[in-house]
Amino acid sequence: MLWESVLPNLFAGDAPRAAELPMDSDAFAGFYDRSARALWAYLARVSGDPALADDLMQESYVRFLCAARPASHLADGEVAGRRYLFRIATNLLRDHWRRPTTASIEEIPEEFLAASASSVQADKQAMLSPALALMRPRERQLLWLAYAEGYSHREIGEITGLATASIRLLLFRARRKIARLLRAQSLKGGPEL
Amino acid sequence: MILSPCSREKELIELLARGAWPDACPPELRTHVAGCRACGDLVLVTRTLRRARAEAAGAANPGSPGALWWRAQLRRRNAAVERVGRPILGALIFAFSVNLLLAGGFLVFQARHGLNWFSWLKQIPQALTLPLGALWPAGVFDSGWSLMALIPALAALALLSGVVVYVASDKQ
Repeated sequence: MLWESVLPNLFAGDAPRAAELPMDSDAFAGFYDRSARALWAYLARVSGDPALADDLMQESYVRFLCAARPASHLADGEVAGRRYLFRIATNLLRDHWRRPTTASIEEIPEEFLAASASSVQADKQAMLSPALALMRPRERQLLWLAYAEGYSHREIGEITGLATASIRLLLFRARRKIARLLRAQSLKGGPEL
Repeated sequence: MILSPCSREKELIELLARGAWPDACPPELRTHVAGCRACGDLVLVTRTLRRARAEAAGAANPGSPGALWWRAQLRRRNAAVERVGRPILGALIFAFSVNLLLAGGFLVFQARHGLNWFSWLKQIPQALTLPLGALWPAGVFDSGWSLMALIPALAALALLSGVVVYVASDKQ
């Protein structure tokens, strides 16, 4: 009896085959070029942190590629692939918000805190304009998906995991709130978003 | 809160999506939007967010897709290797426990028979004077069990049990 027949997966090279990505690199490069900027804009505007947006965007694409069926998502049309990508990014954002901050304040040197706090604040100000900054993260997420990306309530439901009825109500409230803030801001003469 | 969606909202959403607002918009819809709070909010929010999207997308600096492709491939390969290694680890643990069990049983068995493992060594000088066929110590087989026969048997059993567990867990 040969060892190959006893341990088929080990010798037949199933590991390298399983490691092959279900999407070729050219198809991925095209998909990336068409979707990366929109995904970054979503992550940056919703989180208000460009550095975090960079990290989450990269992780989203890696997870998208490692997922069992990215090719089938693309076979359904690039729109479905893009929606799937936004779903991954949304889950990553949620995980980020849920994760407790692990670094103790005593462990960080004072100079570092002063420098990084001001730069993060500046980034936030630049990315999160006053009206959007006053919204809750969930509201920002829904508003962005509905009005910046143009997704329907059903599609937003797929991305965020919320029920369509809840999305309708949440969006209605969020839209009213941000419209009020935008009008107030324009009366003051400040930037809108 | 009472939801009061406007009946013309859908039409307006389509116009905004096509970029037809306000230039290619029928004048009566424009008049409607001016008087309808829901539609006014919709236009204001959509236009503002679309502008913000264009600005943010312009500011984005996406890296090379090749690096992400490489990272994904590496992660997938590691996951595959881990998947292949899992049944082997199970087989090793099983084989080790079978070995331990058998060794324990063997020790108990030997302890009951006086632990005279090296008694055959005393017979070697006598055996050297005998013909070559008589070199095998007779005392080895006295108790019915011997170390020399048992150790290969144990090893073979452990190996086979490991292979069986590997195949079984791999099929699962």
